[in-house]
Amino acid sequence: MKSYKSWLASGGVLALLAVAACTPGTGDDEDGEMVWAIGGSEAQPGGIHQRIAEMWSEQNPDNPIRIEVLPEAADQQREQQALELQAGGSGFDVLGVDVIWTGEYSENDWLESLEDVRAEIEAVTLPGPFESATWGGELWAAPYNSNAGFLYYRTDLVDTPPTTWEEMCEVATSAAEEEGIAGFVGQGARYEGFVVNWLEYYWSNGGELYNEDQTQVTFDTAAAAEVTEFMNENLDTCFAPGFNTAQEEEARNEFQGGNAVFMRNWPYAYALIEDDEGSPANGNFDVAPLPTFTGDGTISALGGFNNAVSAFSNNTEAAKDFVVWAATNEEVQTMLATEASLPPTMASVYDDPALAGDPVMALLGDVLGDARARPPSPAWNEISVEMQNNLFPAYNGDADINTAVENVRTFLEGTID
Amino acid sequence: MAETTVTPGRPTRSGNGGRGSPRPVRQGLSERALGKVFVSPSIILMAMVALFPVLYAFVLSLYLYTRRQPIGFGGIDNYVRALTDSRFWDSIQFTFIFTVTSVTAEFLIGLGFALLMNQAFRGRGVTRAAILIPWVIPTVIAAQMWFFMFNVTPGFINSVLGLGNFNWLGQSGWATFTVVFADVWKTAPFVALLLLAGLQTIPNDVYESARVDGAGMFARFWYVTLPLLKPAILVALLFRTVDALRVYDLPQVMTRGAFGTESLSMLVQQYVVRTPNPGYGAALSTLTFIVVLGIGIIFVRLLGRDLVIGSGVEGGRR
Repeated sequence: MKSYKSWLASGGVLALLAVAACTPGTGDDEDGEMVWAIGGSEAQPGGIHQRIAEMWSEQNPDNPIRIEVLPEAADQQREQQALELQAGGSGFDVLGVDVIWTGEYSENDWLESLEDVRAEIEAVTLPGPFESATWGGELWAAPYNSNAGFLYYRTDLVDTPPTTWEEMCEVATSAAEEEGIAGFVGQGARYEGFVVNWLEYYWSNGGELYNEDQTQVTFDTAAAAEVTEFMNENLDTCFAPGFNTAQEEEARNEFQGGNAVFMRNWPYAYALIEDDEGSPANGNFDVAPLPTFTGDGTISALGGFNNAVSAFSNNTEAAKDFVVWAATNEEVQTMLATEASLPPTMASVYDDPALAGDPVMALLGDVLGDARARPPSPAWNEISVEMQNNLFPAYNGDADINTAVENVRTFLEGTID
Repeated sequence: MAETTVTPGRPTRSGNGGRGSPRPVRQGLSERALGKVFVSPSIILMAMVALFPVLYAFVLSLYLYTRRQPIGFGGIDNYVRALTDSRFWDSIQFTFIFTVTSVTAEFLIGLGFALLMNQAFRGRGVTRAAILIPWVIPTVIAAQMWFFMFNVTPGFINSVLGLGNFNWLGQSGWATFTVVFADVWKTAPFVALLLLAGLQTIPNDVYESARVDGAGMFARFWYVTLPLLKPAILVALLFRTVDALRVYDLPQVMTRGAFGTESLSMLVQQYVVRTPNPGYGAALSTLTFIVVLGIGIIFVRLLGRDLVIGSGVEGGRR
């Protein structure tokens, strides 16, 4: 039933877009003005994306750019862009694309290939974010901002951050028992965030999803079963009660409220806890790289947004110039870090002495090099849903773990051909 | 969509039945034919708004897609895929359990509220307004509110009941319970409102004569109130059942479909929006439509028969 409503709604939105396209304000064909469709709080007036757009417009008065503000939630941003692009509309020139949409968009022929500017971008960009903008060996978007997971820990309860997940759980359990609080909080609810958390365990246990060029499934069912088993065993012991219903904000509330020793979360939580005067964690916490199962290094799942050029744009060349500029201009990329705490994708920015004093940026500089992109396959959303449907009940003890990981493997194999 | 196709049928049909008294024949179109002519624009408009999407979805459901890309005609392939998928049956199961339990509880509680509000007592106006508050709150907000209440921490319900770290939303069975609970909290007032309207159409003299005949409170409720309230009960049950069968927002916000709380509408939404496959999504929504329509028709049948009995009583009053 929803579908009719959503089709009616899509029809309505399309009609509105059609009307909007006819109004004089958006006559981008004639005056060369470009539209950048990006969402989130930084796209609002006064946000960093707005200021970067203004900076470009000042320097390029012939091809100014303005932001079309998309909704807050990533799923809705994708839906808005899909409505316009599915209809072949030229309303958007530059698209803010989540790292996991690259494959889907390129499969639908919605994006201009950026192969001709590849060298320029690849030379200055961190490898993880760069990988997230490619699909099928071709570059489809210019990296813009990145993101990685941190291990937050209470410095008053933990001396040195753990290097393995098992060690973390040991420390968490004993410290938690002494304090009468919970051990570890993360993103355990059934949604994309759970897949991210699970992949961080899985990758750090030596697992892979696909081979290098994503033509072959290399899913390791033994490693997958091990980490799912690990989650299942620690549910309600090391993992905080309510771990399996927590998203980012629930986890942050727990940690910020002083109810947990460790937390896996994105960098955004740092400033919020630091600014909360009443928080028991305030002044008593620090961030560390995520542990692994092997004890070597760190692996985090990569988040963030890349800028792509719409295949239906009437200003392809200028739009291309813009996305390359936003990816490779040191000033722009530094602004992301200093003014908005958005992790830049440009490697050299992290060497900037101005950022060395910032603990979040310093740690990001360390971990982003080892961060992994979820495969930006066109089928990623389906894969993610399938992993949620199988692995979530399995770690909660409602389904057999071995069957669950076999199902995931079978599904991944089905996405190859 | 489904109510719009089902419920408008009712007034039209009963209206025709009631107005059937033939007038002296005049020249040109008969009154009946003329009536049809006058009604046709709205019928055509409704067909375009309500029927077209249904047919369009059916046509779409016969085609196969890889994500958004059409790959050809598939006949009933999408239906076979749906009917052999355990996820589809799991969501049917949850949707039915949700519908039966929530509608039953809403009816019983709503009837209690309605009987209470129908009494003459001090502060009746305030009570009526207070009981309606949950119904006025937007569902998504109510769902988010109950999520916080049932969540382990801050866990309002756990602290009030002294349950410690009981994970209401994070285990099978209890997750379904919380969703049903939130729905009952939210919509019992709506049922109460519909039943209250029905109660107020029951004339007082019926009760008086029952009292003269020596009927006690329970006998009056069982032999007078309930039979006369039956049309209102059926309307309330129809509205609630059809609505409950399409439930989406409560489980989506409270559990995201985890622990066996994925409703049919959530499954449809996934294949239309999250992992788009227009053909399969349309097949799922057509199946949902058939389920809702079938149950709606059963109600309309019961309702139609009952309205005749109901109008007989009203005729007797006159």
